Amino acid sequence: MNGHCNVKVNDTVEEFHRNNSFSDLLIDSKKSVVHRKHETSRKKDEDQSRLPALEAAYTSILRELGEDTDRQGLLRTPLRAAKAMQFLTKGYHETIEDILNNAIFDEDHDEMVIVKNIDVFSLCEHHLVPFFGKVHIGYIPNKKVVGLSKLARIVEIFSRRLQVQERLTKQIAVGISEALQPKGVAVVIEASHMCMVMRGVQKMNSRTVTSTMLGVYLEDPKTREEFLTLSRSA
Amino acid sequence: MEHSKQTQFGSSDKKDAGTSSVVNGHCDGMVKRPAGGPSQPPAAESGSQRPVMESWREDRTRSVEDNEMSLPSLAAAYTTILRGLGEDPQRQGLLKTPWRAATAMQFFTKGYQEKIIDVLNDAIFDEDHDEMVIVKDIDMFSMCEHHLVPIFGRVHIGYLPNKRVLGLSKLARIVEIYSRRLQVQERLTKQIAVAITEALQPTGVGVVIEATHMCMVMRGVQKMNSKTVTSTMLGVFREDPKTRDEFLTLIRS
Repeated sequence: MNGHCNVKVNDTVEEFHRNNSFSDLLIDSKKSVVHRKHETSRKKDEDQSRLPALEAAYTSILRELGEDTDRQGLLRTPLRAAKAMQFLTKGYHETIEDILNNAIFDEDHDEMVIVKNIDVFSLCEHHLVPFFGKVHIGYIPNKKVVGLSKLARIVEIFSRRLQVQERLTKQIAVGISEALQPKGVAVVIEASHMCMVMRGVQKMNSRTVTSTMLGVYLEDPKTREEFLTLSRSA
Repeated sequence: MEHSKQTQFGSSDKKDAGTSSVVNGHCDGMVKRPAGGPSQPPAAESGSQRPVMESWREDRTRSVEDNEMSLPSLAAAYTTILRGLGEDPQRQGLLKTPWRAATAMQFFTKGYQEKIIDVLNDAIFDEDHDEMVIVKDIDMFSMCEHHLVPIFGRVHIGYLPNKRVLGLSKLARIVEIYSRRLQVQERLTKQIAVAITEALQPTGVGVVIEATHMCMVMRGVQKMNSKTVTSTMLGVFREDPKTRDEFLTLIRS
C-alpha cells in the first residue's frame, strides 16, 4: 500500500488480511508499486461509512490526553478531526489515469519544461504530523506534453497520503514517467517536517531536500545542472 | 457557562470545581479582566477575581504516570484511525506509528502537565525598573482544538514592571505551558497575558501572537499565506495609546 515496495511483506500482509476478513482493505501487491490501475485503497463512498469509527477513536484520544470532551470547543472536534484526516489522506482515492486522461497533447517540443514552487502538504507516516514545502518538477518531453496543472495534481495525489519524503519524490517522478514517457524527469522537494520542528530535536529552520532524477537527467550532468539552476532562481 | 475539570485520568466523573475556570484554563467569558477598572493596576482586586486567579493556581490535569498509562489506549485509537483511512497498519513504515503518534500527541499537549507556579517560583526579582521590557519572536507551536492540526507562529510579549521583573526565559516558558495544549488562538493570547499579570502584578502587559493555522492552509479554504494575529492588552497598555504604540512599534522593528 502506498507503493511499499517489499513484495514479501505484502504477501504476508495479504494473508493476514484474508484471515482476518479485512478483504475490503486488500490491495493486489503484484500490480505497479507506484499506483494501482483501476484499484485504490479507499473508495470515496467508503469514507462516509468509516467516519463513526474514526470519530470514536478521536474521542478516545481526547479523553486519554486529559481533556474534557464535553466542553464547548471540543464537542464536535472528533468529527472535524476525522474529516480533516480523511481530507489529508484523500490521495488514496485518486489515480493518475483519472486526472491525466484528457490532458496529454502531441507537441513537437523537446526543450525542458519546469513547474516550480508547487506547495506540497503531506503527513509524516511515522508520527502522523504534517510536513510541507515546495516541489520543483522538470521534464523533457518526447513529443508529448502534459497540461501544466496536471503536474500539480499528480503532486496532490501522492502527497495527500501518509508519506515518507523520499518515497513521495520518487512516486511523483515515476508517475510522470509512466504517463508521458518523456526523455527525462526531475523532481526536487524541499520540505519542513513538523515532527522535527514541533517535537523531538526541535530544530526550527531545518529543511529536508530530496530529489529524483530519471532518464536524461540522470545521465547527463549538464541537463541536471540546467534544471537545478532554473528551479533555484528567485 | 460553567465547565468542569477532568482531574482523573480516564475518569468520566466530572468534578465541579466551584467557580473555578475550566480545563486548559479556559476563562469563562463572564470574568472581569484584571484591568477592567479605568485607573486600577491589574490584579489588585480580591474577591471578584477568583475565576481568573484560578488559572494561576489551576490543578494539573495530567501527570507523567497518566501519560504512561494512557499510551496503550492512545496507540489503539491510532491503529483504528490508520485502518479507517484505508492504510495497512502492518506495513513496515506504519508498524510502530501508533506508538510514535501517541507519544507525539502527548508531547504536543504537555502543557496540561505543567503549572505556572513550578516554572516561575524562583525567577521573580525585585528591581527598580519601570520601563518597558519586551521579549519578541518567541516561536510557538500549538494544536488547533477544532481539527487537531498544528498551529505555529510567533509570540511577542511586553510588560511594564512594577518593581518586580521576571526572568526572561520564564516568559517563553509561560508561552510553552499554554501553547502545548488544544487551543484557540484568542484564548492562548489571553491566558499568557493573564498569567504574567497574576505572577508579577505589573503596570501593564501586552501580548501579540501571529500564527499560521494548518487547518486553514492544508485543508478547508487552503489559503497558504494567511496569518492570524491576536492581541491582549492589559493595564496601562490598554489605557494609554502611547504605550501601546511604543510596544507595537518595537515588536515590528
